[in-house]
Amino acid sequence: MNSKPAEPDDDLFVRLRGGDEAAFVALYRRRQAAIYRFALHMSGSASQAEDVTQEVFLTLLRQECGYDAARGTLSGYLFGIARKLLLRHLERSRSDVPIEADTEDGPMAELAVDDSPLDDLTHREGIESLRRAIRTLPRRYREVVVLCDLEEVDYADAAGVLGCPIGTVRSRLHRARALLLEKLNQERHMRPGVSTLKALRCGI
Amino acid sequence: MNCQEFWDHMPEIGADTSELGQHAAECAACAEQLKLHRALASGLRSVAEQMGSVEAPARVEQGLIAAFRSQNRVRTRTASVSWWAPVLSWAGAAAVLVVGAGLLLHSAHTPQPLRARPGTPSIEQAVFDPSASSDNDDGFIPLPNAETLDPDEDVNVVRMEVPRSTMMAVGLPVSTDRLSELVEADVVLGQDGMARAIRFVDE
Repeated sequence: MNSKPAEPDDDLFVRLRGGDEAAFVALYRRRQAAIYRFALHMSGSASQAEDVTQEVFLTLLRQECGYDAARGTLSGYLFGIARKLLLRHLERSRSDVPIEADTEDGPMAELAVDDSPLDDLTHREGIESLRRAIRTLPRRYREVVVLCDLEEVDYADAAGVLGCPIGTVRSRLHRARALLLEKLNQERHMRPGVSTLKALRCGI
Repeated sequence: MNCQEFWDHMPEIGADTSELGQHAAECAACAEQLKLHRALASGLRSVAEQMGSVEAPARVEQGLIAAFRSQNRVRTRTASVSWWAPVLSWAGAAAVLVVGAGLLLHSAHTPQPLRARPGTPSIEQAVFDPSASSDNDDGFIPLPNAETLDPDEDVNVVRMEVPRSTMMAVGLPVSTDRLSELVEADVVLGQDGMARAIRFVDE
């Protein structure tokens, strides 16, 4: 059985600009969940995620919405609008997580070889720990993890959304994952007086 | 390959080549790091799967569809008005001139019409008085011909851009040379998705 290939976003966009409600609904249904989840991960608030999702698609309806297919995908454009709205919300509420050791190219702390590897992250408690750890990441790392690891946005699109080079996306992602491992390891070893982190040197 | 090269060549979790595998086999520290990163990758995939069914509430879609319909109605009206409005204006002006000339010619023979008492509202004002409506604390002005909201009715308020000419529809003064400009407004939508009231932002 051959299923009809999905109509490209850009075609739906052209149709919705012409007043085609079905095209708008199709585009909304295709993209809303990822935008909502991104906003939810970034804000931690369902009501804020709802507001952001609504505002993103209202922006798309405006005559001067600013989307240019030559500059990136529609999906990337929508994430970019959502990010700007979230930043505005965060600036207003000043609820962002304080950044610790938030240097872009700083030395990477490496996790000690541990006797309890993080092999249960696919179970309920492990998933919840990981979600908590993501929530406490500094914003610049949280957004790259949510985009690339959770929503599977490709690096080029993510670079467009974040307004930075692809190399920066890669380095932030690398740093973000290291921070996540560090946070998870710390959560597992809350024993006082025991340092869970130590730098490892490799002689090869 | 040393450790730095190993990590430089493996920015994506789970990338696996023979060269990377060889280094991991020789370097216990990197092998352990790789193991941790792969465990993290599995965890992230699980979070993504768990969150996969999470989406915006249905009311967001309903509100957006209502905004889309409202906007397209306004656009359609504006577009259709745009070409025949000048024609209508000229025709109206010509009619006024003809009637005015007629009145001048016959004024000596025509008794003066009765004047309305001062303060008596015109028919239009009696039908819809924006000054009375705008006394609401929230500043929303009911839309002409819109159904009255039930006090218990759930409503959605959406912010959108509408042509400035929409302000005329609710009795607000608008300069004729700015009719086509867009202005931000909050629109109250009833449960049926129809616009009931409007509040202009920063106007």
